[in-house]
Amino acid sequence: MQNNAVNAGNDRPSAPVLAARELSKRYEDGVLALDRLNLQVQSGEIYAMLGGNGAGKTTAINLFLNFIDPSEGEALIGGIVTHRDPIAAKKQVAFVSENVMLYPNFTALQNLDYFSRLGGRTGYTREDYRKVLLRVGLQEEAHAKKLRTYSKGMRQKCGIAIAILKDAPAILLDEPTSGLDPKAGLEFIALLQELRDEGRAILMSTHDIFRAKQVADKVGIMNRGRLVAEKHRSELEGEDLEKLYVAYMAGYMEAAV
Amino acid sequence: MLKLIIEKELRETIGSSRFAISFGICALLIILAFYVGARNYQVTRAQYEAALAENLRQMEGITDWMMVDQHIFLPPLPIAALVTGIANDIGRTVEVHGRGELTAEGSRFNEDPLFAVFRFLDLDFIFQIVLSLFAILFAYNAINGEKEQGTLRLTFANAVPRATYILGKMAGTFLALAVPLLIPLLIGCLLLILLGIPLNGGDWGRLALIIGAGLLYFGVFLTLSIWVSALTRRSASSFLLLLILWLFAVLIIPRSAVLLAGRAVDVLPIDEIATQKSRLMAQLWEEDRKVMANFRPSQTEDTEAMLNEFNQFMQDQAEKREQKLRALSERLEEQRRNGERLRERWALWLARLSPTASFSLAAMNLAGTSLMLKQQYLDAANAYQERYAAFIGEKTGGMLRSGGFVVRRIGGADNQPPPIDPREIPAFDYQPPPLPEAAATSLADIGLLACFNLLCFAGAFVGFLRYDVR
Amino acid sequence: MLSLLIQKELKSIIASPKFVGTFGTCAVLILLSVFIGIQEYRASMTQYETARQLNDQEMAESSSWSALHTRVYRQPDPMQIFVSGVHYDIGRFSAISEWEEIKLRRSNYSEDPIFAIFRFIDFSFVVQIALSLLAILFTYDAINGEREQGTLKLTFANPVPRVRYILGKLIGSWLGMVIPLLIPILLALLLVLLYRIPLTADHWLRIFLLIGFSLLFFTFFLALGLLVSARTRSSSVAFLLLLVGWVTLVLIIPRAGAMLAGQLVPVPGIAEIDSKLAGYSQERWDQHSEAMSQRYQERNAVTAGMSAEEREAYEDANMWAWLEEEDAERKKLQQDISEYGRKLQEDFRNRRAIQEQLAFILARFSPASAYQLAAMQLAGNDIDLKTRYEDAMQAYRTIFNDFLDMKRKESGGHSGMRISISSESGINISTGGVDAQSLDLSEVPRFTPPDYLLSRSLGRVMPDLVLLVLFTVLAFAGAFVGFLRYDVR
Repeated sequence: MQNNAVNAGNDRPSAPVLAARELSKRYEDGVLALDRLNLQVQSGEIYAMLGGNGAGKTTAINLFLNFIDPSEGEALIGGIVTHRDPIAAKKQVAFVSENVMLYPNFTALQNLDYFSRLGGRTGYTREDYRKVLLRVGLQEEAHAKKLRTYSKGMRQKCGIAIAILKDAPAILLDEPTSGLDPKAGLEFIALLQELRDEGRAILMSTHDIFRAKQVADKVGIMNRGRLVAEKHRSELEGEDLEKLYVAYMAGYMEAAV
Repeated sequence: MLKLIIEKELRETIGSSRFAISFGICALLIILAFYVGARNYQVTRAQYEAALAENLRQMEGITDWMMVDQHIFLPPLPIAALVTGIANDIGRTVEVHGRGELTAEGSRFNEDPLFAVFRFLDLDFIFQIVLSLFAILFAYNAINGEKEQGTLRLTFANAVPRATYILGKMAGTFLALAVPLLIPLLIGCLLLILLGIPLNGGDWGRLALIIGAGLLYFGVFLTLSIWVSALTRRSASSFLLLLILWLFAVLIIPRSAVLLAGRAVDVLPIDEIATQKSRLMAQLWEEDRKVMANFRPSQTEDTEAMLNEFNQFMQDQAEKREQKLRALSERLEEQRRNGERLRERWALWLARLSPTASFSLAAMNLAGTSLMLKQQYLDAANAYQERYAAFIGEKTGGMLRSGGFVVRRIGGADNQPPPIDPREIPAFDYQPPPLPEAAATSLADIGLLACFNLLCFAGAFVGFLRYDVR
Repeated sequence: MLSLLIQKELKSIIASPKFVGTFGTCAVLILLSVFIGIQEYRASMTQYETARQLNDQEMAESSSWSALHTRVYRQPDPMQIFVSGVHYDIGRFSAISEWEEIKLRRSNYSEDPIFAIFRFIDFSFVVQIALSLLAILFTYDAINGEREQGTLKLTFANPVPRVRYILGKLIGSWLGMVIPLLIPILLALLLVLLYRIPLTADHWLRIFLLIGFSLLFFTFFLALGLLVSARTRSSSVAFLLLLVGWVTLVLIIPRAGAMLAGQLVPVPGIAEIDSKLAGYSQERWDQHSEAMSQRYQERNAVTAGMSAEEREAYEDANMWAWLEEEDAERKKLQQDISEYGRKLQEDFRNRRAIQEQLAFILARFSPASAYQLAAMQLAGNDIDLKTRYEDAMQAYRTIFNDFLDMKRKESGGHSGMRISISSESGINISTGGVDAQSLDLSEVPRFTPPDYLLSRSLGRVMPDLVLLVLFTVLAFAGAFVGFLRYDVR
């Protein structure tokens, strides 16, 4: 398959594919879930949002996908403000959720076919689906099985296959590795790196410090809806991310008190 | 995009085991309803024929047309066997004398209380229950189920306009469920042909319209279910809500609306009418007794002429009584009918809060078994009575039986008149109002069903545009 | 342990929104149905009273014993508030007179078909349709729902014997569902008291039995829900199965049973029977008038030689004797016709009894029919109501006619009409000795409605009781065994 996104190149600085500007969300019950988030993800870059439960990671992703409207600020995908033109924005992005759920009565192939066509890609053949499923590590014999027989890891692989098939310049991942066994986790990381190398902009949320450090080009530490620190891969080289994370959390806590 | 969503909906629905089970049962029940209707028609037809034959047989050997005791019966109609309406509740037998007020006696439920205990299993009933439940069973989690599954998030991570999605969802579900339903319906129609039920073009038209109304009714519950599922977050709660709504719409509202509204409107009690009439009758009779006692024939030489004079006299008296009675009766009936009309309007419109009532009323109107059947049957019987009176009058030279007396000449056996041929009596036939008329009367209900559809559709549409897909 | 399990079950039921929804619905429906029942009862009571009054007035206006006739109305019974049965379907009254056969005429539904169009709603209907549906709505996920939630695994990570658990589940959900139901039921009874419906001790006993039956029926559906829930893995499958089962048991089997029996055992229509009877009576009347004409000729032969005055004197002297004689013959004739009608009826009833028995056997495959039949029996609105009334009316007719006979003899007058036609004297209509004074109706025997003893109802509901208990026990046992083998993962 051809890669539309690669043209941007890896090292040349350009307009960010994913960007948040002063992005805020206050829910109806008054909780400020996201507080003036600013971040940018270039193509060929993996950005990991790191934080505990309730840090605002999922809210950020929901805002990018316009599942909810921002209270202030905006989220942009490929320069399109998502809440202004959600349809155009969503053409530019693929999504893998924490717990990939697909139609249980459809086979993997049927699910792939449906979702890639829903994503606007109609030219795929059965062979393409087979290849991509093999690429994400799903064995041939599982392809024609109904999704309700799949384990969580297999579903996750299916989800990433769907994202690959969408062939979008940006990919959003919500806790993609949670609940995966170490081997599956490693395979998943390798796959993400491949996608990055193809030139996609990847934004993932995670609470797994080690994975973040392993894969991310940039790590944003979040707490209580705020981006409290942002470190480039090079800045992380010598540092102990875990200490850093705990320190920021603690510091924030103190500040809050 | 729309096509893709419809396609997916079709495949997802038809591929599920839920579909296999419930469709199988629906299909079975629908075919059963047709079969039962057809058999029921045959049984009542046989009863009807037997009654007619018996009626003719008992006239054999009668030598005087004035002695004829004519009964007419409400003939069973094939479509009425499918949608029984009130056909089993109203009287079916009418005694016709050629004069006087007609009453229909002997309703089927009165004669066969067995069927009153459990009621009939007819197409109307099966449609009411099965189509609505079938719709709910499939659409109760149309939206919130996808959310629980997690597929809604994934879907809307793509560039899918919500309007397209919900349209596709509704169209897909409707197609996936309604088209397969046509199969048992067609099998049912085929069964009617195979069992030799005589259906004419008009009947097929009625049946087609009833099925059409059934699909509209099905559509109401489908869109309603989608609406409810777009208003709730959990499929368990939408299901609970829908079942309660179903219970009310199908079984509670129509019944309680009619009972509550019906009792709120006063209608002249039928006993009151009967008593007033019977009183007037007694009074008139008392007066006539005196007049009769004073009757003297103008001459006594010619027995034949004297008898004729006497008969004429009795006829005239009867005619006079009849006229007075009719005047009273018409006044009272008019009063009662006005009350009834008002009551019907209230009761039925209140019942129409439920689409089930609309469907049922539309089906009854189309089948000719609606509330109007009682009056239509009596009208037909009255029209027949005129024909019958003309016939008997012609045979007897103007004499009718209900003059109060039958005067027979007792002569020698030599001038015994030959027995009458009862087959000469004009036959009674009842035809329901023709198709265009029936269709016109059911238009209000069909329109109402369409409105219900639109309302629920709009509700589901708007509900989904605002739905939180997270 | 058991009480802990029961407590948990109760708490989780009562705290669930499902409970609020279903309980609210039940309460509304029960109260609504009883309210409607009261309204309907009062309406039919008014109708009954008016009809009787009008009939009495009409009788009072009658001026001769021989013209006296009456109508007997079926008396509404307060039990119809709870179970309407066939009350609105069968005729309301029968005419009682010498010349008319007993026949219940004019059902409420045939007079006011508007009420027939969607049929009735009463307490037994609500129990049969609504409560059963809500019962399965409650228990369909009792076991597999806990599995899906994951709480089943957690529970059995503790030392909990399965038998205890399922018993706790059964008892807990029964208490949680049945006890709250008693509240609207008691409120409904209060409503009945408030409206001053005249209830005897016998009625109260019947009502309590009816409530007992209703709860038993409800329990069956609870058990059925548990049974299916303990035999399936996913709650949605359980519900689908239960819903299908519910439609079949409650809506299809009873009706299908009746229809099937109707087709297996054909019974001639009443119209046919009536025609037969009419034919017979026509024939007999013909014979009668033939005999009469013979007699007239004989009488004429006697007077053939007399002069006009002599003849008149002779006729006057003999006229009433002749009339008596003719009257007796007519009476005999009418009795014969009645006898023949009774025989036909008997035949017809026997055939129909077979049909009914078969229908009930078939229908009783569903506990819903067993419940319905039992409820009707308890309320005395069962299928035999019509026969009971017709028999009582038949007996009354004999008494009434005998009384009239006696009165006529006493008063000595004859109010019949005599029309004599002869070629000599022309036509003479004599209206007899009219006893135009008003009649003393206080002695007219009164009709007493057939009583339907509680002991007889009880005898009749026994099979249904046994069936319901059997169904319930089977469902419980099935649920029990199913759960013992249940894979809790």
